[in-house]
Amino acid sequence: MSGESSTFDLLRVPLIGPFFGWRHARTFLQIPTLIVGIAMIAHGLFGPTLAPKNLATTVSWVHFRGALVLVLLCAGNLFCLACPFMLVRQWARRWFHPRRTWPRRLRNKWLSAGLFALILFVYELFDLWSSPWWTAWLIVGYFASILLIDGMFKHAVFCKFVCPIGQFNFVASTLSPLEVKVRDQGVCVPCQTKDCIRGRRDESGLVTIQRGCELALFQPSKVGNMDCTFCLECVQACPHDNVGILSRPPASELLTDPRRSGIGFFSRRKDIAALALVFTFGSLLNAFGMVSPVYALESWLGRVMHVSHEAPVLGLIFVFSLIVEPVLMLGLAAWLTRVWAGSRRATLPLIVRYAYGLVPLGFGMWLAHYSFHFLTGMLTLIPVTQNAVAGLGRPFLGEPLWTLTGVPTRFVQPLELGFLVLGLAGSLLVTHRLAQDEAEAGAHPVRAFIPWAAICLALWAAGVWLILQPMEMRATFMG
Amino acid sequence: MGNFVINWAAAALGCGVLWLSAGCRKPAETAPPIKIQHEVAPWPARVGAATITLKMSDAGGQPVRAARIALEADMSHPGMRPEFGDAMEIAPGRYRGRLSFTMAGDWVILMRVKLPSGQKLERQLDVNGVR
Repeated sequence: MSGESSTFDLLRVPLIGPFFGWRHARTFLQIPTLIVGIAMIAHGLFGPTLAPKNLATTVSWVHFRGALVLVLLCAGNLFCLACPFMLVRQWARRWFHPRRTWPRRLRNKWLSAGLFALILFVYELFDLWSSPWWTAWLIVGYFASILLIDGMFKHAVFCKFVCPIGQFNFVASTLSPLEVKVRDQGVCVPCQTKDCIRGRRDESGLVTIQRGCELALFQPSKVGNMDCTFCLECVQACPHDNVGILSRPPASELLTDPRRSGIGFFSRRKDIAALALVFTFGSLLNAFGMVSPVYALESWLGRVMHVSHEAPVLGLIFVFSLIVEPVLMLGLAAWLTRVWAGSRRATLPLIVRYAYGLVPLGFGMWLAHYSFHFLTGMLTLIPVTQNAVAGLGRPFLGEPLWTLTGVPTRFVQPLELGFLVLGLAGSLLVTHRLAQDEAEAGAHPVRAFIPWAAICLALWAAGVWLILQPMEMRATFMG
Repeated sequence: MGNFVINWAAAALGCGVLWLSAGCRKPAETAPPIKIQHEVAPWPARVGAATITLKMSDAGGQPVRAARIALEADMSHPGMRPEFGDAMEIAPGRYRGRLSFTMAGDWVILMRVKLPSGQKLERQLDVNGVR
């Protein structure tokens, strides 16, 4: 088992490798993102009220989201690495030393999956894309939450159990081609100090001079990217220089079900499966909120329910899309896997196991949606920044070039469809592999695969239909 | 080295905050009491070309003549291309311009007016629910 693998290692690349190996690399990356974050808050609160003219809305809803999914697709969870909230937390922890441990009943993904769904709901209800003020307060709320939670509780509780953006990144990064991983398992076998998880203290044993993994991922038994923020503490901590950023086939961690450090078995984690389902069905729901038919549906529901406020109507759509629809679809597929394919597994374990198979499709939909906004509006950052600087009374960047936008829609739509096809292929691959494994539970593999493949195709068709719909950006309900 | 990075970061952050806080002051109010009435045709607004008619009058109800009006239509969502146009005077105090609503949704029309006196004012007109 010993011997370094021959896979690509980002930390071995000239210039890039030494940079990521540098102890202050994370801080170096966090400082610009923090400055941008502060600029977004300031501009959101005090700048133009029109969303296309404001840094808060433009950077949040056009550039950040698009760049996030594209970096996750091409590399890995680098945005958690450069997270500005963590930098503020680090500074705060120079004065605050949390002593409490996170309650045991909250050490799962139920809360964060709920918060993820809540963010999607709030985004639609308050039309965050059109409100610089609300967007700025969302960022302020994020800073406040992290200071409150990580100021009270030890380790990286916010990242692991609370942060909705982090959970999005964790699930999406299961499709990423890079992973923080042990280079040579043989080197870890005789290791006594286990610095990668314990960290290092000075000779007195009182002062931490190097942290270990705050998310409880022990490198030798870590599998995949789930819960990994790419903080690179383990890289710094390993006295044998045995942790790298290695390449791997995207989605490979979804194909198998080993015991994962800090997580356990995917197949026994109903909470992570629920998060994966919110991720997948939420991708369609989030895109559905941006096309014309949603307004017709809302108006119809409003009339049927005799309500004029959007919240109950939107709430019903969310409950149906994120709970009823997944339960019905996956429940039916699991039932068929048992009855028709002959699997001896119970319905719920089947749903949990196959929920991960839908993640590639969900990621394909997020990619299609967010890359559309990013690519068609990528150059708008220039005039918005010019406008923000001009607003300071020092227009040294020149007059805003408002005609700058991005790639024409007709060029982006084929790319969107490509992302969806890629997602479908990934989901079919994963569910097919899971169906093959179903033979161990006495099932007919092909019959086990068909119901799940049908779900993949149905969700994919829904995604294609959404992309082909005319986009309609409205902040008005039944108007 | 650690302290150096932290200090550098704190200094950079402080500069950023100062730089931004300078922009928090309110712009001077220069808008004279001008009343602008508007019409959008077709109404309800539809995707495609639209005609914007404006009627400008001063505090005494007299038409405001010879103003220069630049129009800009923006989507409520950031990242979309704005549309530009000018409104020309078609009768004393009446101005007309054309814009194109390139997609369905909520639009905002910005009117940048330069009065004969050289004074400038900016008004905003919401055009919701373009189909």
